[in-house]
Amino acid sequence: MDIDRIRNFCIIAHIDHGKSTLADRMLELTGTVSARDMMEQVMDQMDLERERGITIKGKAVKMNYHGEDGDYQLNLIDTPGHVDFGYEVSRALAACEGAILVVDATQGIQAQTLANVYLAMEHDMTIIPVLNKIDLAVAQPQRVSQEVQMAFGFKEDEILFVSAKDGTGVSQLLKAIVERVPPPKGVSNPLRALVFDSAYDPYKGVVAYVRLFDGSIGKGSQLLMMSTGSNGDILEVGNFLPKLTPVERLYAGEVGYVATGLKNVRECRVGDTITLTEQPASEALPGYEPLKSMVFAGLYPADGDDYLSLRTALEKLQLNDAALGYEPETSAALGFGFRCGFLGLLHMEIVQERLEREYGLNLLITAPSVAYQVLMDDGTEVVVDSPAKLPPTQRITEMREPLLALSIVAPARFIGTVMELVTARRGEFRRMEYLQGAVSQEEQGNASSDARVLMEYRAPLSEVLMDFYDQLKSRTQGYASMDYSFQGYQSAPLVKLDLLVNNQPVDALSLILHRDKAQQQGKALVEKLRTLIPRQLFEVPLQAAVGSRIIARETIRALRKNVLAKCYGGDITRKRKLLEKQAEGKKRMKRVGNVEIPQEAFLALLKLER
Amino acid sequence: MDSENNKEGSALPAQIALYIHIPFCQTKCPYCDFNTYAGIEPLIPSYTKALTTEILHWGALLGRPRVSTIFFGGGTPSYVPGQSIAAFLDAARRAFQVTSDAEVTMEANPGDLFGEGVASLPGLGINRLSIGVQSLDDSLLKVLGRRHSSQEAVEAYGAVRRAGFANVSLDLMYGLPNQSMEQWRDSLERVLSLLPEHLSLYCLTLEEGTPMQQQVRLGETSEPDPDLAADMYLMAEDLLGQAGYGHYEISNWAKPGRESLHNLTYWHNQPYLGVGPGAHSYLGKWRFNNINSPREYIGRFGNFSKAEATVDALSSEVISQVPTVGDVETIEQPMEMAETMMLGLRLSEGMSLDGFASRFGRSLSSVYGEQIRELTSLKLLEQRDGVLYLTEHGHLLGNEVFLRFF
Repeated sequence: MDIDRIRNFCIIAHIDHGKSTLADRMLELTGTVSARDMMEQVMDQMDLERERGITIKGKAVKMNYHGEDGDYQLNLIDTPGHVDFGYEVSRALAACEGAILVVDATQGIQAQTLANVYLAMEHDMTIIPVLNKIDLAVAQPQRVSQEVQMAFGFKEDEILFVSAKDGTGVSQLLKAIVERVPPPKGVSNPLRALVFDSAYDPYKGVVAYVRLFDGSIGKGSQLLMMSTGSNGDILEVGNFLPKLTPVERLYAGEVGYVATGLKNVRECRVGDTITLTEQPASEALPGYEPLKSMVFAGLYPADGDDYLSLRTALEKLQLNDAALGYEPETSAALGFGFRCGFLGLLHMEIVQERLEREYGLNLLITAPSVAYQVLMDDGTEVVVDSPAKLPPTQRITEMREPLLALSIVAPARFIGTVMELVTARRGEFRRMEYLQGAVSQEEQGNASSDARVLMEYRAPLSEVLMDFYDQLKSRTQGYASMDYSFQGYQSAPLVKLDLLVNNQPVDALSLILHRDKAQQQGKALVEKLRTLIPRQLFEVPLQAAVGSRIIARETIRALRKNVLAKCYGGDITRKRKLLEKQAEGKKRMKRVGNVEIPQEAFLALLKLER
Repeated sequence: MDSENNKEGSALPAQIALYIHIPFCQTKCPYCDFNTYAGIEPLIPSYTKALTTEILHWGALLGRPRVSTIFFGGGTPSYVPGQSIAAFLDAARRAFQVTSDAEVTMEANPGDLFGEGVASLPGLGINRLSIGVQSLDDSLLKVLGRRHSSQEAVEAYGAVRRAGFANVSLDLMYGLPNQSMEQWRDSLERVLSLLPEHLSLYCLTLEEGTPMQQQVRLGETSEPDPDLAADMYLMAEDLLGQAGYGHYEISNWAKPGRESLHNLTYWHNQPYLGVGPGAHSYLGKWRFNNINSPREYIGRFGNFSKAEATVDALSSEVISQVPTVGDVETIEQPMEMAETMMLGLRLSEGMSLDGFASRFGRSLSSVYGEQIRELTSLKLLEQRDGVLYLTEHGHLLGNEVFLRFF
């Protein structure tokens, strides 16, 4: 097809604003998927995605659109709806010329709306603003339209009103895509194809999802990954309809897939450029960044016998998840396991859930940590992603922690609440902006409780990791939304807090935190643990320590009584079952020294009120 | 269940203990989760008939084994008319070789022990009473939902003695909501002044689904403190020891020679037959129980006549064919060993190494050596002269010991 008749676009939206439903309607309307075959949200395929209502991995689909002046090829690239860090969205955007900005007409602009629009603007994309869910009685299309105009400078007549649910306005949207999104530009040689996603297929090897910028590609040639230098034999190329459908060749401007023959997604990373080994491009497409793990946690099989199964499962998962890192780790308390690196907490949760669900593993996961830069007295720098690996204090000259740029959108009446929360997490206020921009001072005073505000902060990643988002949601009655990006490292007075159970440090319970928080956290932690560790046959002291200084202490008194009084009417079976249950419970505990610690205790760090 | 084992028979037991369940109560106590019911008194006549049939049926099936202990438990056995008790005992004597000196115990509620009834009991052959006094503090009796007062309990005891009972056991409960050490000491001292032959002291267990557990969960009743209960236990050990009672089982004390022979059968892990709804039995290598519902129980035995003939051997098939039997469980040797430990170690006589070896053909240390080493180092078990005992400290931590055998 003529390159002028191709339109590549994606949909950007805050989570739950209806991105996937809108995609479904477009597929239906263009006849790509018949209404009969239409399962709700075709593009979200994994069970997990369906359940959580979010898109984990970006997908693409090619649609044929009958325009008034002939047919067009529309390529929709679905961006991940919720990501830990924006990199994957950024790659999807880089593959397109246009973006549909979906804003929920019942909610208005949210933090991720802003973040995504700024990203799209950075990529110089054509943005088509769309207000969704106008079928709902609580929708406020006029107010949200105003907000979108003010915030991003759109004109009123640029904004489309749709209901992805009942299909209203979707055909106008398709028309607008053809009219407004520019066709791709491209030259015939040499091949440059941007990888915006990849997946492992047991038969085809790594399948790269690509957007061709220059050249063309077909079966039989050898490809070169420009950043990793890996070579592969092209086994197949094709389109997404949305099933993978082979074609002879893909040409500049098109979106499709390439079966690379590579064995591991790490050799074919998102953001890399594919060219041909025989006739390589001189320069890769811009923007490739290796994925960086931001969050680390120990994963241990609840049953030590499952260690090898866990390793196999991680290997398999990694084939398809280039962002997942792992290396063996041994904990005195938890035994053999793996230190795993994740893009963020969401990624961590998804990996954990997939391991448990798809591989039937029962896992213990330690409190997540960030990676600290540690400057040593000999001038060297080490990266520490686990409290257990922190060098002795006397050898450390400086510690730096990762910092986030945090943007929060919330109704103005919650400014104080948000400020309080972020400050308690060592956040630093940067700026604030009312989203209704043009409202005069007096009006602002009147409407201030209803007006929505964008607040920007810098805050340490470690403080945002645990329950920040939940706290933000609950303290703002669910109104606040949030987005964040990595901002580099910052020096901080950090210390390691150790936990001693019966005078023995338990490595899996250590954490690195700000000096000023050690006292309060240490106290909270031993108090929590006292309720989580059952009484033992002897008294068990619990201590929190920084270095050799004990900063908090609790005691678990010795168990005095555990005996069944009565043997009623010869019901021995019942008595035995009770004992068997107790014995079973003991087996599930981890032994540290001679103290039996239940698995929940290792999650105490996660449950702490901060 | 392993079908191979089901076919394999066990020899008929020569001697068993007999438990007779009486599922009737005037009121149901809020802490009780036993198989007993208030308000089904109209069933008593048909129940008497069904239970009599069940006794005769088993007697014939098992070939009239010897019975040297009979225990009427409940429920409230003292609540049903004497004719019913007489009918059961008559059936038992026809069905089994009840020894002339058999221990025949009946559980009784203090409120039922006045008037004609109690005086007739010795004549029927009841020679031991176990009276549910529970407390001699009226406020605690109210918490427990008992229908007697402390004074009535004391008077009932007098009536029982006048009726000629020479072997009387009293039940007391501790670890009750809001119970103080003083209240406990007072109940103990007053009970001791009555000079019963036997005492059972039970710590309150909040059983799932009982009204009392519900009240505690909702915060309407305060949750008993387990450490205080431990202190109460130690106080009782002290007081009862001084008064000359032998602490022969974790929860039971007796004057010398007055231990409950029936309950010793359980603790020695010897065979017993339980009749009546929900009753449990252990015969051969099978543990089984009757269905719980009295109504259904009566229904199943309504048209049933006694078994024609004695079986050659016991098997799970033979047991399952008895119409009231619910679950049947095969106890293989490893389980039998663990149960024997769990039960036997409750007794102050301990677990004799020779006894274990002659029962199982294996030495105790070859089976449980590792556990015994650990438990000895934890000072929960001790071994003296070829016998393994719970230590004094181990009495209150019995489960920590027993669970290691499973």
